[in-house]
Amino acid sequence: MPANVIPFASVPWHGRTVLRHVDAHALLRYVSPVILVLMWQGACSTGMVSTRQVASPVQVIMTGWGLLRDGTLGANLGVSLARAATGLAIAVVLGVGFALISGLSRLGEDIVDAPLQILRTLPALAMVPLFILWFGIGEIPKIALVALGATFPIYLNLHKGIRSIDPRLLEMARTLGLSRMQTIRDVILPGALPDLLVGLRFAVGMSWLMLVVAEQVNAESGIGHMMMEAQDFLRTDIIMVGLVIYGLLGLVSDQVVRLMERVFLSWRPVHQRGQGA
Amino acid sequence: MNAAVMTNGTRDVSSPKNGVVAINGLTRRFGRGPAVLDRLDLTIAPGEFVALLGHSGSGKSTLLRTLAGLDPVHEGTVARPDSVSVVFQDGRLLPWKRVWENVVLGQAGADRRRRAIAMLEEVGLGHRVDAWPLTLSGGETQRAALARALVRRPVFLMLDEPFAALDALARLKMQRLVARLWARHGCAVLLVTHDVDEALMLADRAIVLDRGRIRTDITIALERPRHHADPGFIHLRGVLLDALGVHDD
Repeated sequence: MPANVIPFASVPWHGRTVLRHVDAHALLRYVSPVILVLMWQGACSTGMVSTRQVASPVQVIMTGWGLLRDGTLGANLGVSLARAATGLAIAVVLGVGFALISGLSRLGEDIVDAPLQILRTLPALAMVPLFILWFGIGEIPKIALVALGATFPIYLNLHKGIRSIDPRLLEMARTLGLSRMQTIRDVILPGALPDLLVGLRFAVGMSWLMLVVAEQVNAESGIGHMMMEAQDFLRTDIIMVGLVIYGLLGLVSDQVVRLMERVFLSWRPVHQRGQGA
Repeated sequence: MNAAVMTNGTRDVSSPKNGVVAINGLTRRFGRGPAVLDRLDLTIAPGEFVALLGHSGSGKSTLLRTLAGLDPVHEGTVARPDSVSVVFQDGRLLPWKRVWENVVLGQAGADRRRRAIAMLEEVGLGHRVDAWPLTLSGGETQRAALARALVRRPVFLMLDEPFAALDALARLKMQRLVARLWARHGCAVLLVTHDVDEALMLADRAIVLDRGRIRTDITIALERPRHHADPGFIHLRGVLLDALGVHDD
C-alpha cells in the first residue's frame, strides 16, 4: 500500500493550502441549500403553497426567534442534546469496547461478534415498544435507543479497521521486539483510527435518527416533543423550526467529526482525505 | 529485547556458540510440498557481510524470515543473537508516526528524540526528522528504515532486498551508504539481493541458494572500494552468474 502512495505523497503539502481547500469546499456545500430556501420562500410569498401546509422560511425564522426568546427552544434543545450526547457516549464506549475484544483476540471474536451481527440485523426502531415496557417513558428508553442504534456503526467499522491492519506492519513490530501492548498502542489502534472515525460519523447520524423517533413517542420535552405538540395545534411553523434544528444538528455534528478527522489523521496526504466516508 | 519474539514460536532459536549466526540442518516445508529449505547449514562470523543470492522461490525469503524470528523452526537449529534488526524491501514505516518516532519506535529513554536525530543525520535524513512517512520518497523511506534498524545497535543486521524498489541512482547511493554504515557499526550483515553486482560491491562472501540448499559459497577477497571494471570483480561476477544459471556466451 505505501508503495502506491509514495509518488503522489512526495509532493509537500502545507497547512495553509489545506485550509483554503477546505474553505472553498465548505462554502460550496452551502450554496444549493440556500437556493432551495429562496425558492421555498418565493413559493410561499406568491401563494403557490398555502402557509397552512408549509410555513414560509421568514415565518419559520420569526417563530424560531420567538421560541428562542421565551426559552422554549433552548430548554428543549438542551434536553435533546443531552439525550443524544449521553446515548452516543454510551455507544462509543460499548462499540469501541466490543470491537477491541473481538478485534484483538480470536476467542473474543467468537464470543462477541456473532451475537452483535445477529442484533445488527434487527431494525433498532422495532425495539421501541419493548424499551418502553422495560424502561418506562422517562429518559432511559430514549438514551438506550440512541445508544443501541449508534453502537453498531462504531463496532463494525472499528472491528474492520483492526482486522485489516497491514500484516507487514505487524511483522515489522515483531522484528522490532515490540510488546503486545506496544503493538496495540502504536500500530493497531492508530491504524484503525480512520475506520473508527468513519464509524463515528455514521453513529452520529444514527443517533439523531433514533432521537427523533424516541422523542415523538411519549416524550415530555425535547425538540421532538415540541414538534408533536405543535402538530396538535396545526403549527407548521414550529414543526418547521424543529426540522431546521434537527438538520442543523446533523450538519454541525458531521462537521465536528470531519474536523476530528483532519486533526487526528493529519499524517494522511491531502489527496487521501475524506476517503472511505 | 527480542525475548518476546523468541518465545513466540521460535523457541529453538538460541545464542550461537561460535559465529554470530549458526544454522544447522534447517529444514522447512509448507504442508506436504517439497522442502523450501533443505538441511541448510550456514555460519556467519561477527562483523561479516554476507550476500544471499538466488532465484525467486529458492528459499531466500524463508531463510531470512526464520532468522528474523517471523517463521518457526521445525527441524534443525538456528542460533542468532538477541539484538537483530531487519530492513524490508518496502520500508514498513508507520504512516501515523513522524519519521523520528518511527526510528525509535518501542525504544525507551528520555533521549529518544536526540538519538533518532543523530541516527537520521548519519543516514543523510537529518532534514526530514519531523516529516510524515507518506511524504518521503522511496530512497528516503529506506534511509529511515535503515536508521530504525541501526539505532538499536544490532549485532546482526538483515537486509531483505532493501534497494530493489529504488531507481538506479538511488540504489547506488544507498549501496554506498550501507557500505559506510557497515564499516562504522561493524555488525554482521545478511543482504538478500537479486543483484550480482550489488553483492560483489558490498559483501565479504556471496552465497547462492538453490532449491533450499547452498549451491555456491564464495569469498569475495577484493579490496574496497571496489570497481566494476576490476578483473577480479569481472571474474567473480561470471562465477556467480554461472551459479545462478545465467551463462555468458
